[in-house]
Amino acid sequence: MTKNPAMKRNKRHAPIAAALLFAWGFTLSAPLHAEVDLAGEWADKYHEEWPERIPGPDVVDYTGLPLNNAARMKADSWEASVQTLPERQCIAHPFPYSLRGPANLKIWPELDPVSSRPIAWKMFGTFGRATHTVWMDGRSHPSKNALHTFEGFTTGVWEGDMLTTYTTHIKLGYLRRNGVPTSDETTVTEHWVRHGNILTATVIVEDPVYLTEPYIRSSNWVLDPQQMVLSTPCEPVVEVARKPGAVPHYLPGTNPFINEETDLYKIPLEAVRGGAETMYPEYRKKLKDKYVAPARCERYCCGWGNNAAAGSLGCIVGGSANNP
Amino acid sequence: MNCKSSSARTAVTSIVVSLFLATALHAQAPARPATPEVAPKQAAPIDLTGYWVAVVTEDWRWRMVTPAKGDYASVPINLAAKTMADKWDPSKDEAAGEQCRSYGAPAIMRVPGRLHITWQDDRTLKVETDAGEQTRLLRFDEPKTPAGAPTWQGISLAKWETPRVPALGAGDPQPKAAFGDLKVTTSHLRPGYLRKNGIPYSDKTQMTEYWDLSTEHYLTGTHNGEQWLVVTTQVTDPTYLQEDWITSLNFRKEPDGSKWDPEPCSAKW
Repeated sequence: MTKNPAMKRNKRHAPIAAALLFAWGFTLSAPLHAEVDLAGEWADKYHEEWPERIPGPDVVDYTGLPLNNAARMKADSWEASVQTLPERQCIAHPFPYSLRGPANLKIWPELDPVSSRPIAWKMFGTFGRATHTVWMDGRSHPSKNALHTFEGFTTGVWEGDMLTTYTTHIKLGYLRRNGVPTSDETTVTEHWVRHGNILTATVIVEDPVYLTEPYIRSSNWVLDPQQMVLSTPCEPVVEVARKPGAVPHYLPGTNPFINEETDLYKIPLEAVRGGAETMYPEYRKKLKDKYVAPARCERYCCGWGNNAAAGSLGCIVGGSANNP
Repeated sequence: MNCKSSSARTAVTSIVVSLFLATALHAQAPARPATPEVAPKQAAPIDLTGYWVAVVTEDWRWRMVTPAKGDYASVPINLAAKTMADKWDPSKDEAAGEQCRSYGAPAIMRVPGRLHITWQDDRTLKVETDAGEQTRLLRFDEPKTPAGAPTWQGISLAKWETPRVPALGAGDPQPKAAFGDLKVTTSHLRPGYLRKNGIPYSDKTQMTEYWDLSTEHYLTGTHNGEQWLVVTTQVTDPTYLQEDWITSLNFRKEPDGSKWDPEPCSAKW
């Protein structure tokens, strides 16, 4: 019998194949890393800050934000109708804000075709179809001179059952949907944890240009297999006739809404203007002698999601409505 | 001898043997000798002790000041809750000695203030608040004596949740988890307010919390190493809520108790 070289090679490789197959068999029943499956349809819960996240924030509402004076000055120049400019209508929510806005999520892993390990986690559903891609394959962040986008560039690592991510290369945007700015030097750290059917994302924003300290907020979703997040194509139209080149804005000192929050909610203007000091319990004591609650809520008095149940409660939802 | 059939036999044998061994190794895992139970204090995968400050960057208008009567935004109340809350009268609460209604377990973590967390014993975490001077006891054992009257802080059962880690092999000790969270379920609550302005919760309320810890390694800035505690809270109340109320609260660790400032409950402020 003539010995076939290919057969010899096969025999030589047999122990290696057995070892690899053993390892493969082992991975079928044991997790290699402490991590959880984030995949699925996740419905956003607007059980905090519903008026800001769904109807939209008041124009000059900077409460709870660690802003510096540069941020205040830029935010004061923001005129809401700037969003009606055709070239701005379809801009995605910038990443430091997007998870806080309306954001039912579809999450799925992109798998390595050989190992089936996630190369990336994809999170889709924030306004403007800016898919949040979390690279899990150990790649580096690009050069600081690389393209900055509204979504930025994100890498992630598992810390036990917590997915921690880091985002850089974010284009200039906003922290709140009323023009509170973020610079292109902003970086974001996220912590994603899944507890049963509840998903919580803690987002910490750092911005050396506009923030005096890291800004934290955490948002929650519940698993909803019947939800189906789909693409919502945006088509810009002319909403307001303007002269070419006109950009709605307020020059310094001319914003007519500076006192709106104070008029509506009786919150002292110094608190409305934000700043790190206003985020801590001791500031509450400073407010004690300066604040008297309004006699009655006058708008957005009920609401927590996308259902109509709140309306049936007969709460005031607009400034001119009457409470039955 | 047919080379192809030999290779196929080798492959099939390898698959069978590897699956058998993998299954056998896992099947052996439960047969490890029982180890003495480690007390929750010693088994803690994360260290929650110390002083923590509430950082009020969310719901500022509803937490830092007492909102207007009738302001129920964000809370999934039903009509019964609205009817009740519309009758809110803080002066009446004070006169009735009910000024701590908005400091019960479903609300206390939202009150701007500081937490002081210590181990009362090996099986009980104690969470004190300077705002409202409340004490929560998170017990790792079911109470042995019948519960008395419902209280503001109710009865809380705690449990460490640790991530699954890979088995190292038969007989190898499982490495101590470096990560995990604390799950707390609370019931037996005295009725109170979810919000200072009278949004009610009933004695049927149950609450589940997940306490997660992170240590930051920011890409920029000067705050590296700071620790955050995020408490995700799910409040279930068949009497006053249309759906579970799910929120998450953020606390940053402080080096000491120098800013601890106890203040009694107040119905109005």
